Amino acid sequence: MAYTFQFGQAFIHLPYLLGGALLSLEIAFIAFWGGTVLGLFGAYTLVYGSRLLRSIVQGYVTFFTNTPAVVQIFFLFYALPEAGIMLSSFTAVTLGLVLNSAAYLADIQRAGFLSVRQTELDAAETLGMSRLQMLRYVIVPHIARTIYPPLSSFFIWLVLGSSIGALYGVEELTGRALNIATSNLRTIEIFLVVGGIYIVMTLAASLSLGLVGRHVFRVRGGLLR
Amino acid sequence: MPHLAIDGLNASYKNLKVLHDICLDVERSEVVSLIGPSGSGKSTLLRTLVGVNKPTSGKVTLAQRTLDYSSASSLKQARDSMAIVFQQYNLFQNMTVIGNVTIAPLKIKKWQRAEVEEHAHSLLQKVGLGHKLKAYPDELSGGQQQRVAIARALALKPQLLLLDEITSALDPELVGEVLDIIRGLARDGMTMLIVSHEMGFVREVSSRVVMMDQGRIVEIGTPQQIFDAPKETRTRDFTARVLSH
Repeated sequence: MAYTFQFGQAFIHLPYLLGGALLSLEIAFIAFWGGTVLGLFGAYTLVYGSRLLRSIVQGYVTFFTNTPAVVQIFFLFYALPEAGIMLSSFTAVTLGLVLNSAAYLADIQRAGFLSVRQTELDAAETLGMSRLQMLRYVIVPHIARTIYPPLSSFFIWLVLGSSIGALYGVEELTGRALNIATSNLRTIEIFLVVGGIYIVMTLAASLSLGLVGRHVFRVRGGLLR
Repeated sequence: MPHLAIDGLNASYKNLKVLHDICLDVERSEVVSLIGPSGSGKSTLLRTLVGVNKPTSGKVTLAQRTLDYSSASSLKQARDSMAIVFQQYNLFQNMTVIGNVTIAPLKIKKWQRAEVEEHAHSLLQKVGLGHKLKAYPDELSGGQQQRVAIARALALKPQLLLLDEITSALDPELVGEVLDIIRGLARDGMTMLIVSHEMGFVREVSSRVVMMDQGRIVEIGTPQQIFDAPKETRTRDFTARVLSH
């Protein structure tokens, strides 16, 4: 039996789906920045912290990078209410992704800290720079440049990873697609369209991140080779 | 009074004594080279003068001022008056050539921008990189990077220039272009303390040569004395070994 595509059934829901796409971006954005800030503290601790603090952070990173995000969010969503903490599905998913990203981003930023070359610090010191000037003119720009490409990729990954919210009833792009598909049963058309929207989002994101990277941090790669 | 006077300088590195009672006077416009086997303390002496290593005792006087290595603020005085160029160039990778050369005078010394830029341009012109102002270090050859590092050191108008094996990391065909710059500086009367393994160059450019071994000065003399008629056996062994290659 031949399948007859009816894309009209998907396209009439486009505004609704785009609203979901916006929520996907929002989740990715919060998870990214929350994870970056938490991860920065984690990275700093991993490089400069005491032995005790280092092993605590290392334990955190090991736990969160070796268990599925789905499981982590399940825990937040179903176990925390037992302790009297009720989270909306949106909060549980976003929080879960923040905690999960923090682990990965701590590792990425740690590599950035380690990439600062002692030789450049020697030069800065002998030119007469103070600690603060070294931080501002040498260390931070260096870290930013080193970690920019992996951070960009991670953001893209989060845009796609936000679809995990659908499992918990968050009405982001995938969640909304499921809503429509279960009512009109045009699953194939809807998910083809949704796939297209994801591609447009990630292409736009990597293109703009690539442009920023090229002009601000002089990094090449990705779509802009 | 000599331009640079080092008197009884001692230094340690991780509980290991690496400089023993170093005494050396350098006159203005003199070029003094330090030679000796690796681990003899040549680089350590330069790094101690500029305060990367802390001396444990001794006195250093430069241009009639006694340098104080005890605190970060007093170190500033030492760094105001001397500059060092390293083996690995150590350029700031995130800055352009002109950025590398102007950052210290602009941000640390807070000199006038117009003046600083004009000076930087003329220095880069002098090292043959007037056309590479906007290039980044990773777009340059090793020899070019090292020439930028020399210009960066000169931008602070140092009274003493320390060169720490500045050609050791370069491909052989790039050594010449860097040494040419140093020859030019010597002609212009820059006071320099040089650590180098280029014995031909050392012989040609130095007014005096210092032989070091195991953190001590073994012998000081003119290049002719050191290379042709060394008094000490250790000097003779060393020069015979390096010159036979």
